[in-house]
Amino acid sequence: MGFIHRHRGLTPYLLLAPGVAWLAIFFLVPLGFLAYQSLQSGSIDFGYAFTWSWGNYWEAVRDYRPQFVRSLAYAGVATALALVVSYPVAYWIAFRGGRWKNLLLLLIVAPFFVTYLIRTLAWQTILADHGVVVRTLHELHVLGSSGRLLNTAVAVVAGITYNFLPFMALPLYVSLEQIDQRLIEAAEDLYASRLQAFVRVTLPLSLPGVVAGTLLTFIPAAGDFINAQLLGSPRNHMIGNVIQSKFLELTDYPAAASMSFVLIAAIVLAVLAYARAVGTEQLTG
Amino acid sequence: MSAVAVPVRRPKASTRIWALARRHVLSVYSLLFFVYLLLPIAIVAAFSFNHPTGRFNYVWEGFTWDNWRYWDGVPGLRSAIVLSLEIGLLASIVATVLGTLIALALVRYGFRGRGATNLLVFLPLSTPEIVLGASLLTLFLNANVVFGFWTILIAHVMFCISFAVVTVKARLIGFDRHLEEAAMDLGANEWVTFARVTLPLVAPAILAALLLCFAISIDDFVVTYFNSGSRVTFPLFVWGAARNGAPPQVNVIGTAIFAVAVGAMLANVLVQTRRTKGVA
Amino acid sequence: MSEHLTRRQLLERAGSAGIVLALPGWLAACGGSDEDTGAFTPPRQRKLAKTLRFSNWTLYMDTNNKNHTHPTLDEFERLHGVHVAYTEDVNDNASYFGKIQAPLSRGQLIDRDIIVMTDNSRYPSLLIRRRWVEKLDKNAIPNIANLQPALQHPGWDPDRTYSLPWQSGMTGIAFNDSLTDPVLSIDDLLGNPKLKGKITVLSEMADALSLVMLSNGDDPAKVTDASFDRAIAKIQKAVDSGQIRNFTGNEYAPPLAKGDLAAAMSWSGDIAQLPNENLHWNLPTDGGDIWTDNMLIPKGGDVYTASVYMNYVYDPKVAAEIEAGNPKKGSDGIFYICPVVGAKEEIQKTNPELADNELIFPTDEMLDNVHIFDAEALNNEKYVTAWQNLISA
Repeated sequence: MGFIHRHRGLTPYLLLAPGVAWLAIFFLVPLGFLAYQSLQSGSIDFGYAFTWSWGNYWEAVRDYRPQFVRSLAYAGVATALALVVSYPVAYWIAFRGGRWKNLLLLLIVAPFFVTYLIRTLAWQTILADHGVVVRTLHELHVLGSSGRLLNTAVAVVAGITYNFLPFMALPLYVSLEQIDQRLIEAAEDLYASRLQAFVRVTLPLSLPGVVAGTLLTFIPAAGDFINAQLLGSPRNHMIGNVIQSKFLELTDYPAAASMSFVLIAAIVLAVLAYARAVGTEQLTG
Repeated sequence: MSAVAVPVRRPKASTRIWALARRHVLSVYSLLFFVYLLLPIAIVAAFSFNHPTGRFNYVWEGFTWDNWRYWDGVPGLRSAIVLSLEIGLLASIVATVLGTLIALALVRYGFRGRGATNLLVFLPLSTPEIVLGASLLTLFLNANVVFGFWTILIAHVMFCISFAVVTVKARLIGFDRHLEEAAMDLGANEWVTFARVTLPLVAPAILAALLLCFAISIDDFVVTYFNSGSRVTFPLFVWGAARNGAPPQVNVIGTAIFAVAVGAMLANVLVQTRRTKGVA
Repeated sequence: MSEHLTRRQLLERAGSAGIVLALPGWLAACGGSDEDTGAFTPPRQRKLAKTLRFSNWTLYMDTNNKNHTHPTLDEFERLHGVHVAYTEDVNDNASYFGKIQAPLSRGQLIDRDIIVMTDNSRYPSLLIRRRWVEKLDKNAIPNIANLQPALQHPGWDPDRTYSLPWQSGMTGIAFNDSLTDPVLSIDDLLGNPKLKGKITVLSEMADALSLVMLSNGDDPAKVTDASFDRAIAKIQKAVDSGQIRNFTGNEYAPPLAKGDLAAAMSWSGDIAQLPNENLHWNLPTDGGDIWTDNMLIPKGGDVYTASVYMNYVYDPKVAAEIEAGNPKKGSDGIFYICPVVGAKEEIQKTNPELADNELIFPTDEMLDNVHIFDAEALNNEKYVTAWQNLISA
């Protein structure tokens, strides 16, 4: 149980200074420029001018609401899936990993050494229409006879989940590994069943990890575009895809900028709601 | 006095099997998890031995060692992966250090601006990469900076810090302060306590943060693309090659890095094991 | 099957085709003016720079895989004493433009002498309109006479003032004959219920709309609101019915090769590279389109040196070497459509099979049947937005 030091003068500020300075210069300043850009209007042909164009924001919400909603939905489902899938493994590594812990952690992030494009290509091979997986699902009647896995919402969510697993698993592990096993033993000595001990001791103590993993997965996933582009169909596109196209194809930088801020706002709101539900201590420490 | 022999009834076979299953279900599950996780890697590794007739490496056409033998056969590939590894190592270290410091401040101290700092940490995560990369590009242009290694490094540290902060925070929040108090009661000053009590106990989180940051850095494409000037990192190379067909050597490199990293870690574990065995 | 044409016949036939193709270009040129008004260009120097900075797409130069060299670039250095700093950092037109517009719009230079961008995107014409590219020094490019007539007058650069083709490709339909009967027309591709969910369409507006407009009987070189709407409606219908599986760049290649797709709107060069013998590529019966990767000189680039290089690659011998490689030097070529007249004959001497490959040296019938998309439409915000909304529902 943590308690806060009384305000100790300069120490916290000294600790914060390097990191915050880095973010201030290399993130906040660009973000400021982005905000400036979001209120511009114009075109690539004639240039852009700052016109307090709040309409950009309104248009972003009005025209692309389905994509916004879809992004939050896909990210939410993927995060929940990642949590359910990763928790047991994080638990296993933390409690049963022994000296293999670090190796197992490495294995979790190892897929990233092979670029996204190549590993998605491998998934396209695995989930191909005529591949083993899809054919088995046909046999089991899970998929209709003309059903497919690729270029569907399922593939997009699966892709997001897979690619964000390390962001969920590692924070979970970090929090679980810290739990003193004697607490669990004590609970069991006090006649708790294994399940009860888990639910009432382990789970609450691992909550900081759950929160951390959820945030590190949901937040970036909401802005993802590449999974929808490669694994989805036009009907599965997320707001990230729209922002991509606004920026690159349409060279409509004000629209891309304002849409980004709407997304950021939506995410921050979602996180605040989450914080309330979970209890702010777990979020802010 | 002779003990009375009490017949012990052996538990039923089904109960024993059930107990056995329960004990191992977690391990079996975890094994399946790793199979699922690494299945694409296996495919990538398999295709690194493919012998494509054309330029695309999509369909299996025959086995060959050539790609491994001539792993360096594609111009630009070696410098791309070297750059990615350098940036990855450096960026993950810097980001983890900065992130750990921020996490310490956030969790242990009350100060004005905690909320704002938390928000600052979450914002880079929520910003779509394309506008993040493009805005950073604008900053660099206005500062008339030369694009290349340093701009890439700066960008990577920037977006990795948040991941490091959140990961280390997860550890610090549940941290048992009594250990530190005990150390201080025993006469250690703040620095010693930090170095010899706090840091070792937070080490797993720091390692996790390092791994996470390295993984993000080595796979980043969008932000890097905008801020790389003419330097080419491994993801940039692969994405660039995709139009005309990424050569099998790309698979070779990916597989090799995986194998080397896992191999090194494995060797480390085995060495440690021997050492403790020797001591014991 | 292509007959062996003499160079003269080729020029003659291509010439007539060229006029038909060029007409829209001339008309477009009459509409807008690209005259240099007031922009200060420094006096042309006719001295070669020490280095030529060349940005190109990956795997787009003849390469010796054993010692990582590009023989034609080395030869250029030997002949002219100019070192070519060759970077393969163009991976996508939109992304590359997104990256270079930042400095260019601020009046900064991008430290390049030659960049290569495709004209089925809006960016080459955009670069010209914004005056972010330099004019070629045609006096240094006498070999420009070797440019394929079909490519001499594109709508977005009618007199080839700013650009020269590097390589070309055609857009058509590929199908897998083990999965479907031949798919030879766009109507079949988009309308045949047997192909539902098993086809893809290109995400490049110019390519997709060219083909669909042709299938509607409209002319893609002159896009009108009506013809645009008709084409969009046709594609939208196919999206809504689930006929179109996805809009792709060249990501159609893996699923096509593996049999996930029965047919795809695709680029000619890719199919030549896929190993699946059941794959066939054809121009659609109503016509296809031709696109070109073009060399451009970005602002601040050394015009003279870049022009000398362009002249060098328009020498049929050099063009042949880039195209097909050189067995003597152990290099591989790039196997796209060569824009240089005469290269085919050179390749005939060393590699006759390649010279007969229609996907690399298209026949005249094929050249008659390809069109170039209206460059103005590419930059029409209304059209581009409608297109992006369509492919990103």
